[in-house]
Amino acid sequence: MEQNDRILSVQDLHVKFDLRGRVLHAIRGVDLELYRGEVLAIVGESGSGKSVFTKSFMGLLDANGSITGGTMDYYPTPGGEPVRLSCLKGEKDWLRIRGREIAMVMQDPMTSLNPLKTIGEQIMEAVCLHQGLKGAAAREKTLEYLRDVGIRDPEQRFRQYPHEFSGGMRQRVVIAIALACSPRILICDEPTTALDVTIQAQILQLLKEMRQKYHLTIVMITHDLGVVANIADRVAVMYAGDIVEIGTADEIYYDPRHPYTWALLSSMPQMGVKGQDLFNILGTPPNLFAEIRGDAFAPRNPQALKIDFVKRPPYFSVTPTHKAKTWLLDPRAPQVEPPAAVKLLRKEASVHDRTR
Amino acid sequence: MTGPAEKEVLLEVKDLNITYGTGRRAYDAVQQANFVIYKGETFGLVGESGSGKTTIGRAILRILPTSGGEILYKGQKINGRISRALDKQLTKEIQMIFQDPQSSLNERAKVSYIVGEGLQNVRPDLSPAQREEKVRQALLDVGLLPEFASRFPHEFSGGQRQRIGIARALIVEPEFIVADEPISALDMSIRAQVLNLLRHLQKERGITYLFIAHDLSVMRYISDRIAVIHRGRILELADAEELVTHPLHPYTRSLLSAIPMPDPRRERQKTLLVYDPAIHDYSVETPQWRQLRPRHWVLCSGSEAAQWLNQEERS
Repeated sequence: MEQNDRILSVQDLHVKFDLRGRVLHAIRGVDLELYRGEVLAIVGESGSGKSVFTKSFMGLLDANGSITGGTMDYYPTPGGEPVRLSCLKGEKDWLRIRGREIAMVMQDPMTSLNPLKTIGEQIMEAVCLHQGLKGAAAREKTLEYLRDVGIRDPEQRFRQYPHEFSGGMRQRVVIAIALACSPRILICDEPTTALDVTIQAQILQLLKEMRQKYHLTIVMITHDLGVVANIADRVAVMYAGDIVEIGTADEIYYDPRHPYTWALLSSMPQMGVKGQDLFNILGTPPNLFAEIRGDAFAPRNPQALKIDFVKRPPYFSVTPTHKAKTWLLDPRAPQVEPPAAVKLLRKEASVHDRTR
Repeated sequence: MTGPAEKEVLLEVKDLNITYGTGRRAYDAVQQANFVIYKGETFGLVGESGSGKTTIGRAILRILPTSGGEILYKGQKINGRISRALDKQLTKEIQMIFQDPQSSLNERAKVSYIVGEGLQNVRPDLSPAQREEKVRQALLDVGLLPEFASRFPHEFSGGQRQRIGIARALIVEPEFIVADEPISALDMSIRAQVLNLLRHLQKERGITYLFIAHDLSVMRYISDRIAVIHRGRILELADAEELVTHPLHPYTRSLLSAIPMPDPRRERQKTLLVYDPAIHDYSVETPQWRQLRPRHWVLCSGSEAAQWLNQEERS
């Protein structure tokens, strides 16, 4: 991937929240390059900062939160002049970015729609505002979006209210609203967590189709590594306000290097063997009010090295696209075997290779 | 695994119907449900939202009235009117774990009260000191510290709150627990902790679970047998591995195809099966509950049975 292909570039980003005089360091120096047209999944448990990180792209941080360091550049056109998002201050500046350039699909379709307005009005609002269409043209465009997201009888559905839709259909409407802004980047914050497994698979399928049709760059936020294997080109694993490992989907699932990624993969029920304990991550995520020394995951990692408690690991490159922040990748580190579930996945990858 | 003849039946559901509302507004949430739960096993009930899985769980706890059929617990009928003594016994022996740990704990009560409340009803003979000791033990059993008894729910994380919910169910020493989506609202890493805890408790105390969920991947891991429910009807029932490896009903096949696997190459090639209830033509022949493979029952017509078995053999 070339430099020109990037659409968003984040360098050493720090976000802090002021909570009654105490400072919470939510994002602790994150670097990220987002490339045009890709699907990047950001995976982490609650409190890892994955939502805060993506909200900062849209200037949606709560009033007590602010970017305290680092830069965030948005490239509207390939190779063009960037917009420095981290310097935008007022609502006026943000309104040119929010929706129009970067749009968001929230987790819960129950709360992200207005119960007092029809579905049609809510989508048309975005069409009028962001595409400058009016009247019949706007209506026609709205119906097209409804058709796109797989809603049957759009003319009739146009006049209905959110309560007349099922959860999966509502999420489709939310996606239609986001598309109606004609954004370049679509951020999906746990878009399928509140849905049934079958509906979840359909929504992921829909997102894949929409990405093709509208040339979207998608950022998927999730706590479930299983869900994004289907859709992600690259995966970033977040822990305690930092991206601890990032690579292509194949690299992260078949050749993970960070102990936290190992732990996440092995604790999935899909990997469990009946009658045996599931792997579980001991302890709790670190307190982000306090200064973290060394590797944030070390206290929960039974195989942590001594240096993990002293010095924060830098990124070590595994391949040009795959890097992880763990001292295990240092040439001087001892060999530590990944857990059984991780080896099992690696074996499956080689089976795929042979059948090809 | 032992044969069905040697196992003791704990709960039996016979031709169960549950209807919401009356007259023209009546809605049949559950129709003709039949299954048995053996002592000491984990019985999984899988279905999407609105399928009636929670309704069945609630009917067993006698929160909801039934409109037809019978629920037998240890051979005694427990739906409809029952004696006071039986009511008391059931309250002690059947408990529930709820889905959402954020909304199932009383925010204004201390943990000691939340966990110990059931004892006041079931064991009024205990002195406050004895009750306190029981609460202490229940908290230890679920891996929490006894000191937590004097705190309020908001001081705990999601996983800890779910443990409090489990401690509350355990303290009356139940024999049967209805766990309604106990891990859906939890983070990935905490899910593993709660599943492990439930499994250990079963091993130590021989508790029987009715485990309700929408996710077959979790079910495969935790359940001994699985029933699949769709729109109020149970469509398929079999041992967990049998159901996952030899699914017969198209709905079960579609559920299985939707399970997300942490395996990108397989995921990219997978085809989603979408279940369309219109494929069944039951105008000629009404579907029946048939055993098509060993210990594997499906709701289907005769022609469907032949067709599905054929399809299964080929795949």
